[in-house]
Amino acid sequence: MIDAHAPSAPLLTAPPIYNEQIVKNFTIASMFWAIVAFLVGCTIAAELCWPGLSMGLSFLNFGRLRPVHTSAAIFAFGGNALLGTSFYVVQRTCRARLFGGSAFADFIFWGYNFFIVMAALSYVMGYSRGQEYSEPPWHVTIFLVVIWVCYIVAFIGTLIKRAEPHIYVANWFYLAFMVTVAILVLVNNAALPISMYSAHAYVAYGGVQNALIQWWYGHNAVGFFLTAGFLGMMYYFIPKQANRPVYSYRLSIVHFWSLIFMYIWAGPHHLHYTALPDWTQTLGMAFSIMLWMPSWGGMINGLMTLSGAWDKLRTDPSLRFSVTAVGFYGMSTFEGPVMSIRDVNALAHYTDWVIGHVHSGALGWVAFISFGAIYYLVPALWKRAGLYSNKLVAWHYWIATLGIVFYMTSMWVAGIMQGLMWRAYDKFGFLQYSFVESVSAVHPYYIIRLLGGLMFLAGALIMVFNLIMTVRSPSTQVVGRSYPAVPGGALMAGE
Amino acid sequence: MQFRHEWIEKNAFLLLVLTIATVAVGGIVEAVPLFTIETTVEHVKGVRPYSPLELAGRNIYIREGCYLCHSQQIRALKDEVERYGHYSLAAESMYDHPFQWGSKRIGPDLSRVGGKYSNDWHYAHLTNPTALVPETLMPRYGFMAETPLEYAEIDRHLKANKALGVPYTDADIANARADLETQANPQADSAGLLGRYPKAVMASGDGRVVTEMDALVAYLQVLGTMVNFADTTTEQMKQ
Amino acid sequence: MRERERDMADTGEFFVGILVAVLGLVGLVLASGALDDEIYLFGLSLAGFAFLFDMMLVKKHYDRADAARVKVRHD
Repeated sequence: MIDAHAPSAPLLTAPPIYNEQIVKNFTIASMFWAIVAFLVGCTIAAELCWPGLSMGLSFLNFGRLRPVHTSAAIFAFGGNALLGTSFYVVQRTCRARLFGGSAFADFIFWGYNFFIVMAALSYVMGYSRGQEYSEPPWHVTIFLVVIWVCYIVAFIGTLIKRAEPHIYVANWFYLAFMVTVAILVLVNNAALPISMYSAHAYVAYGGVQNALIQWWYGHNAVGFFLTAGFLGMMYYFIPKQANRPVYSYRLSIVHFWSLIFMYIWAGPHHLHYTALPDWTQTLGMAFSIMLWMPSWGGMINGLMTLSGAWDKLRTDPSLRFSVTAVGFYGMSTFEGPVMSIRDVNALAHYTDWVIGHVHSGALGWVAFISFGAIYYLVPALWKRAGLYSNKLVAWHYWIATLGIVFYMTSMWVAGIMQGLMWRAYDKFGFLQYSFVESVSAVHPYYIIRLLGGLMFLAGALIMVFNLIMTVRSPSTQVVGRSYPAVPGGALMAGE
Repeated sequence: MQFRHEWIEKNAFLLLVLTIATVAVGGIVEAVPLFTIETTVEHVKGVRPYSPLELAGRNIYIREGCYLCHSQQIRALKDEVERYGHYSLAAESMYDHPFQWGSKRIGPDLSRVGGKYSNDWHYAHLTNPTALVPETLMPRYGFMAETPLEYAEIDRHLKANKALGVPYTDADIANARADLETQANPQADSAGLLGRYPKAVMASGDGRVVTEMDALVAYLQVLGTMVNFADTTTEQMKQ
Repeated sequence: MRERERDMADTGEFFVGILVAVLGLVGLVLASGALDDEIYLFGLSLAGFAFLFDMMLVKKHYDRADAARVKVRHD
């Protein structure tokens, strides 16, 4: 697509047989965990409306379930989508079968999902590590590191054995994502267990140093796991679905290097006005604001790829998801820098505005770009003529989008209200509101937020139905092609 | 010869190395000086390691995800200082592995909750928050009052913290179990305990079985009480 | 699947199988000395995962061998 040079040798050999089974597995897992993540999200949203729902049971309370939701959304849903699409994209853009063989790929798939189950169980049983998006106990994290190293080896191995001389831009982003996540996880999880046989460990850093390292980690979990990785997805699937080349090669280069350089510094904007030294806060704020530019570079590159093909948004509902995702990406990457400004942050920090911001990014960008890619992948992988129903995709799109709007707006109102109430003074110069008054005030908005989440869940369930029917229904079978009856094992040959 | 990006695109190893180099810079610049600049942690007096019972309580606070609703970091903002007390110093959490500053307030900040409510209030509130604060969103934690605290390995916890730089003495570690039981028993002789851990608050339990709630309350009651701000100068608080 | 690809698949799955078996043993060791419920559960689950995964490798190995035999007979 963006390759300005002709291949160095004519294609005399047949294209390789790609390992598609692994991508299928990851795709199914990704949708499964999406439903789990949204369900748990709705559960905890309901608990914030009606706290009696946890019934005094330890394993159902908000504090134990919230990490289940965040891990399921980020690592289970997002992670499986990233691993699956990265394996699909790297094979095809390198014209090489996945490095390491099928057993190795299977180990990465099953191992990663085993990690997820163990992490969730550990939170519910009361063994969370107590650091956001970094809750798995030390032994579970070590297991993740083993899997992650294998993932990196499989990906880089495929890059090295590529038949296509240029490494396509999507792979730069996937590579930056997986390598940076490895560094983040290793550094943030440096800890000393009380014994090899105990789940308890104490993190190597304390107090303010721990705070900085945690938010270096936390913000870059967003920047590299949830942004760079999914930009990789965007760079393959949008041009593919639109059947257009990426808008600008030069822009890809500039925004890639500036994005991965600048994102790292943004962490301190989570710590404005805290005991973190002023110089660190200022650095974090400055880079967070500058980060707006490379982020919008990515947005422009993604959106303008539709140049000359805008009418596809009318006819292709799954492309609609991907393009809307890029729009939400632009919105979130504008809101983020604004919230990083110290004076804005003085109001926003600790409030629900942050939650609104997170979810516009998570639902609007991450989930939507994944849905767009998965709607493309399922017919392609299962060799079907198309999706079972484009109308259902449209229903999904509108219900989910409306859900996001309810979520975002209710949290904006709740968050800004909280911030203003906490700092309000009455005419005598006393604080006007008790803390608990701000809790009561946001109750209706928490209900609206729950409604938004339920709508998003409903949309995802429609998607699952549509995908199952795509795979199974005779109506989507490719016309004119009949598959001869073969013994079960022989179909493995296509792996 | 003019640099061409395609050199990087055609060389996986170069791409990998340059990517790692690019992402490494920011973290190093922001994190390393926090360890090397000496005044990052202010030179104030009074901060001490947690007593064994408080440490056990802290671990319960962490595992229940209390930090997800409660912050422990008062910002240097007028309304916040007025509502919660003196803004938080880095020194006050220097022995916190991990820190629990929090990032969301669904409930109030707890940095200086120590001493604000009686033990009995905490026991009642943890068991049934709605009975004391009708509008609360806090779940019920009554199960902690029924659950015996597991503290057979408490000395290992102190040892691990010591290895990470928290100044537990050998005497602290040797007396870990005894100190925990003493603090949980209102009838016990607390001289040794208070010598090692000034301002430690005795639990209100029956002194027979140490429960998880005893530990959590002991932890909550020490929060924000260690530094005496009346005795601290502005010079000492400079970072 | 051609002869050479099958051999490479066999080598690959052999090494992966050994690696996973080692992980399973690690799980058993952790469970054996477990000081709390979490490590106990994790150790046993890891051992269970390793067992099931290696069984899956064995199944796929023989499914591939059977398919090859069927193919040879049909040629």
